[in-house]
Amino acid sequence: MQDVTSLIPPVPHAFGFTTEHALTRQQARRFLEENSPREHARALHDDRLGYDPALYRRVLELGWLGLTLPESYGGAGLDHLHLMLLWEELGRALTPSPLFGALLATHAISLSRHEAHRGRWLPEALSGELIPTFAFGEPKGAWGPRQVSCRAEPKDGAWQLTGVKAHVPFGASATLAVVPAVDHRGEVGLFVLDLPSAGVEREPELSVDSTRRSARLVLSRARVPHDRRLQGDGARIFTQVCTLGYAVLAAEMVGAGEQVLELTRSYATTREQFGRAIGSFQAVKHPIVNMLCQLELARSLSLGAGAALSDSRLIDQPEVAERAARMAKAYGEQMLSHAVQKGVQLHGGFGFTWECDVQLYFKRMLWTRATLGDATHHKAALAAALFA
Amino acid sequence: MSRYEPAESEELAAFRAEVKAWIATNQPPKPSFKLPLSFLEVESEEQFRYLRAWQRKVYEAGYLGFDVPKEYGGQGVSLDKHRVVAQELARARAPFMVNLIALQWAGPTILAFGTEEQKQRFLPGILSADDIWCQGFSEPGSGSDLASLRAVAVPSEDGYRVTGHKVWTTLAHFAKFMILMARTDPAAGKYAGISYFLFPMDTPGVTIQPLVKMSGEGGFNQVIFDEAPMPKDALLGAEGEGWNIAMATLMFERGAGEGVGRERAAGFVERAGALAALAASTTRDGRPVSEDPVFRDRAVQAWIEAQAMALAAARSEAPALNAERPMALPLMNKLVMSEWAQRLAELGCEVLGPEAALWVGDPHAPDDGDWPRAFMNSFGMTIGGGTSEILRNIIGERVLGLPKSK
Repeated sequence: MQDVTSLIPPVPHAFGFTTEHALTRQQARRFLEENSPREHARALHDDRLGYDPALYRRVLELGWLGLTLPESYGGAGLDHLHLMLLWEELGRALTPSPLFGALLATHAISLSRHEAHRGRWLPEALSGELIPTFAFGEPKGAWGPRQVSCRAEPKDGAWQLTGVKAHVPFGASATLAVVPAVDHRGEVGLFVLDLPSAGVEREPELSVDSTRRSARLVLSRARVPHDRRLQGDGARIFTQVCTLGYAVLAAEMVGAGEQVLELTRSYATTREQFGRAIGSFQAVKHPIVNMLCQLELARSLSLGAGAALSDSRLIDQPEVAERAARMAKAYGEQMLSHAVQKGVQLHGGFGFTWECDVQLYFKRMLWTRATLGDATHHKAALAAALFA
Repeated sequence: MSRYEPAESEELAAFRAEVKAWIATNQPPKPSFKLPLSFLEVESEEQFRYLRAWQRKVYEAGYLGFDVPKEYGGQGVSLDKHRVVAQELARARAPFMVNLIALQWAGPTILAFGTEEQKQRFLPGILSADDIWCQGFSEPGSGSDLASLRAVAVPSEDGYRVTGHKVWTTLAHFAKFMILMARTDPAAGKYAGISYFLFPMDTPGVTIQPLVKMSGEGGFNQVIFDEAPMPKDALLGAEGEGWNIAMATLMFERGAGEGVGRERAAGFVERAGALAALAASTTRDGRPVSEDPVFRDRAVQAWIEAQAMALAAARSEAPALNAERPMALPLMNKLVMSEWAQRLAELGCEVLGPEAALWVGDPHAPDDGDWPRAFMNSFGMTIGGGTSEILRNIIGERVLGLPKSK
């Protein structure tokens, strides 16, 4: 039995929130309102690529991919509270872009001990010269560093990767993938694979959320040059990549929840039945208030995870930030699941039409819950810490 | 990547160490009699004396009143120190402050609306626990519809005479003063006719009758006023301003005061930990409850939510983080905290399995029956100070701008 207070990150005073953070949020919101309204997500529903490359280039110019990466590689060198605030806005806007996979991939590369890896791929990813992704998943529900079946065998001074990667974010259009595979010694390595590439079949998946495309990569002795294995403990880097993934998905869910709350609040204020706005009925009002309460708690956990990721006291304890991020993702999912269901329900007949925007967030919720572990998974992992 | 520096200054860390050491030396031993779980259930004289002595000791050591300026008996305002003391008291599971109604509701109201004379007169006694306060808002016919209250304060030669009936009056049997809402102008509107008083309880015409809670405990009362005299200077603010002042008191009561959310949240993570410890030390079907995946899931849920409340309280310290909806967190506090505490208490009962059927006083009852007792008493918090239902109306209307429920 653990002392519970030693398991969680200390709460930073006022989160270290500064005017710079406010600026990050404000710039992101303004840009996305102008360039990525929800019609943008709808318009790309049947698009082959699933995102607008011109918009992605502008996003890169704004420095959003390299927000927390060192300035020496073209990043902005900011703390993770900035990242949470940015991804909250991206979640609100539902902007279709390969940014999520690219963020995970660049984070993995930034943790490689080999300077040449960082020096080469990070600037190329941040400039858009290459579009990286990270293959965290495999078929049948496998994901994460402990469930890697894909094999990496040494052959003629190179690595040969064999196996299937599933749910690879924008895997059909990415030009580079960081691929976890188990080597001949039984260790997880992270291999940097060019796409397309001989021995790699790419099968687009039909994603429940059209703003989040994905693909299977079927690897049959796909060749990766020897010097393209990220240096360091691959499983550990994979774990840290997942932590960042939990955190940004949690932030996205907060933004999504915020928008669902606003859509529902606004509808309940204007839609009239029995001669009065339906929001005046407590059976409608109270669930909307519950949405708000859960949203504010989810936001607190999300910002807390961002603060923990940048807390100088926790550098040598990545498991503390991991727990904070797991909490944020688990609770964020519960919040958003409740919000979208009430959102559809309280919009009545209109609520379950294609036209009502709540459906876009409903699908995002399903995708996000399915990605990098659902609430049940994370709570089980947290229980292992609590009851260790 | 830039990183945060440690949040706590050396000065504050030193203060924390000092407080911690002081509590370790001075925390009173567990008494031979049963202590109440919260300020809502202080029933007997011996409970009251024990708790009052503890508050006085904390005050005299200089650790109480970091939210009150020095000229009114406080320590000078330092919300950081205020939070550190609250955290360390919670961690040590020290007894609560018995004069809570005064410390957190009446005191801040007097500080905000009182005259210089009223502040000097009332605030020191609140901190030292010399003057215990109770609250006279609800009436038998006026609960959630508080503004329908009927108690009257009729002007007399030397002040007012109060006639009416207040109910659910926690601590009235020990109180020297009451924050009282009474009608001074029956002809004025529902709200405009109400005034706010600092009523001295030791006056003729006041009858206090104890009420018994579902747990069998006392601690609250009904108070009947029969032309009870009240001096003119008992009035807080101006006549007719009572409703607005009472709304401020209710905001404080619901945890909207600066640092209050943080102070309350400090104890929640501890309580989630206590639940986990209970699950680890309780067996069910021959195995620790903490090995049951269903209970593990529920315990972690409580832990996550406790951490979320603590983080929400920290967010309150950065107004820029909440600029778009500044009233959301302050108004949410009591609602989410009281409902969480209720779920936690019930979960504790479920962890106990068959032992949860044993009541306070049974020699085999785990934690002397405090889990079922806490579950029952938790309803005091989801009902008192505005029911959860009323709070949802208030949040819906004031924070989200939803149309009024009529």
